Amino acid sequence: MNGLIAIPTLQELLNYIVGILTSRTFLEMIIFPGFLNIMLGAAFLVWLERKLIARVQLRIGPLYAGMWGILQPVADGVKLLFKEMIFPELADKKVLILGALALMMLAVAPVVPIPFGEGFVIADMNIGLLYVFAVISLFPTVILLIGWGSNSKYSLLGGLRSMFQQVAYEVPMWLSVLGIVMLTGTLNLTEIVKAQQKVWFIVPEVLGFAVFFTAILAELERIPFDLPEAETELVMGWMTELSGVAFMVGFLAMYTKVYVMSALMTALFLGGWSGPSVIPQPVWFLAKTFLVASVMVIIRGTFPRVRVDILLKAAWGRLLLLALANVFVTAGLIWLGLGGIWKV
Amino acid sequence: MPDPIFLVLSAVVVVSAIAALEARELIYGAVGLAFSLIGVAGIFLLLGEEYLAMFQIAVYVGAVVVLIMFTIMLVRRDSGRPAEEEEPGRLGRAGAFVAGLIALAIAAAMYLVIPYSAEMPILSEISLHDLGRTLASGYALALVILGLLIGATAVGALTLAKIEPEEERGGAA
Repeated sequence: MNGLIAIPTLQELLNYIVGILTSRTFLEMIIFPGFLNIMLGAAFLVWLERKLIARVQLRIGPLYAGMWGILQPVADGVKLLFKEMIFPELADKKVLILGALALMMLAVAPVVPIPFGEGFVIADMNIGLLYVFAVISLFPTVILLIGWGSNSKYSLLGGLRSMFQQVAYEVPMWLSVLGIVMLTGTLNLTEIVKAQQKVWFIVPEVLGFAVFFTAILAELERIPFDLPEAETELVMGWMTELSGVAFMVGFLAMYTKVYVMSALMTALFLGGWSGPSVIPQPVWFLAKTFLVASVMVIIRGTFPRVRVDILLKAAWGRLLLLALANVFVTAGLIWLGLGGIWKV
Repeated sequence: MPDPIFLVLSAVVVVSAIAALEARELIYGAVGLAFSLIGVAGIFLLLGEEYLAMFQIAVYVGAVVVLIMFTIMLVRRDSGRPAEEEEPGRLGRAGAFVAGLIALAIAAAMYLVIPYSAEMPILSEISLHDLGRTLASGYALALVILGLLIGATAVGALTLAKIEPEEERGGAA
């Protein structure tokens, strides 16, 4: 070699790149619990929602694109990609585009500590649960920004509604998982799943599960808590002025959030990957995740939208008390000496 | 040479703090504040204080910044813009000069007092059990007083927000 710096040969460089591309961390980030899995899962959820809601309403739903219309999300995506992005004259374009992208980033981020199987986790964090909640708490900021930047009354109203709803429901959401942390003594999601090998947490924490599920429905802005969208009054809520690719990213981000939150619920309450070992662990996990998501869809087909005052009264007056009651029930279980079942 | 990650994080904190103060639109100021606080959380993570970092994000960015933004939304959009930019006068320039000198003096004093080491002091990893035990034994009194304070604040807020029956009949639903 000439000089002090060793110039790598092409072979070495290629080996290096291939080494990175085939390393387990990279594959986990890009393919399985990571990017590809989330995007495909979210697209599948869009189809699942349309098909299931059609069945609830005695329609057929998407039919022509692919088998049972399964390629419908792809067709929609292609259509939105080629659409023109139209923004109102006085809207803040930067905020709208960057906000939609930030929403996507925030929706994908909580998947990092969620274990989709033993070893199928991107980063096995000790503070996994805390990290997920910290990321979720950033959503209202971005949604409010999009609502403000649109410079339209529908968007602003939607953004404000979304903000107070999410901030109000965050409190019972944090409290409802306290029982699990008391029983396991850890915030690591992998260990929380391992603690459920004998009995799933939905059994001792049935109250916590009910509170958590309701709070997550509100966080996801889904019916019966879809006040921020409320298509009959606010057109499309804070998403009204997003169009073209920006709308696609924002829309997909909300479905990604549904997918990731269903996965979190599976890991916390439904035993995660545990199940008879005839079927591989990730399959169990995905099956439970889509089951949770399907329940959310069926709720959408069944319930009417709640009123604003009922929404807030339910959060502060009922859910908070139920979550606190759950803490006492869990403390009682530990006092009775039953806590050993879920010790890691 | 300090840790490059630390340098990047410090740059993020300082630049976004300046942006928070200098932003013409109040809402951009709030976003700058959010980035600054996230940068501080990153420095906490670098020091190995995971719990502190996560609560920094959840409480400061997730709650405080959201409340600030909410307040900005409630005032009219036009009132967020300053009426006209005023050129800083003679006094203003002198003030900036003195402030700069003071900042420099503080930095010099800190440099002299705190021994500089290139290596970040990584604190020992604290488990959830240790954290709970410390809070509930060593700092039990402080914890109870904080709880009382938050409880009193909540009661005060509820009292302020309470709608009197007459008002309710008046049509303010």
